[in-house]
Amino acid sequence: MNRIASRAFPGFAIGFTLYYAPAYSFTGATSSFTWPLFTYFPAIGQWNWGLVPGNDNIGPPMWWYGWILSAVVVGLIFAVIAMLLPEKAVQKTLATLVWVVPILAFIFLLNWELPWFVPDWKPIWFS
Amino acid sequence: MDTALLIIHSVCALFLIGAITHQALGVFWPRQPGQTDFVAKARGINPAGYVTAIMVLYVVTFLLGAYIYPVYRVYVRPPLQDLMLTYAIGLFEIKENFAAIGLAMLPAYWYFWKKAPEYTTTRKAMVAIYFLTIWYNFIAGHLLNNVRGFA
Repeated sequence: MNRIASRAFPGFAIGFTLYYAPAYSFTGATSSFTWPLFTYFPAIGQWNWGLVPGNDNIGPPMWWYGWILSAVVVGLIFAVIAMLLPEKAVQKTLATLVWVVPILAFIFLLNWELPWFVPDWKPIWFS
Repeated sequence: MDTALLIIHSVCALFLIGAITHQALGVFWPRQPGQTDFVAKARGINPAGYVTAIMVLYVVTFLLGAYIYPVYRVYVRPPLQDLMLTYAIGLFEIKENFAAIGLAMLPAYWYFWKKAPEYTTTRKAMVAIYFLTIWYNFIAGHLLNNVRGFA
């Protein structure tokens, strides 16, 4: 169990985070890539596969659940890959990345969250 | 029903705040020999003893929040947009992102705290991340509730 957990659990967290941060940042009604696995329309209680924009008839879309499920899938893939790597060679690296990647993700996400607080803010990605 | 769940969500978050704060104090400001005051007693705990409680409380709080999230999306957020209170929406956006990434870190948090004591830097860093994000989420949720209230 420990030999699996030492690589799979950090691998899962890293993979999840590496997918979730850009998924939140780059999802929009006109996104070319389907970041969320599904879309939920809470006003009518309807689920749709993939990224579906909202409108006046079906109400606002919720992509958060879809991002999480997509990120879980990516996290599991990373966990499997991590388990295939030699334990001694990667354990220290994973033990560092497991907290460094989330911190970098929070900084990355802040760039896309700032427009809510600073209306003139343009995410650095495109400026 | 939704209001009752929101209150339960808040109470669970309060317990979670207590647990992560105790653990963070025990990790970063441990009690020194001879200290017996109230604050020192709050710091004089075994940080590893809080791991299971933090994990259970985190998952329960997260699930409750995820369950009532649609109510926010339909009844709370649109008026905030109409009133141009975008900062309040931003507070929630950060909260949901912290919550999701924190959830994904839980298995690793369990492993490093229960099975790998040699990774002290990782253990401390994860406690610091949880401490800051859980406190932020609690305050942001409280502020948002004050701004708009529930449906």
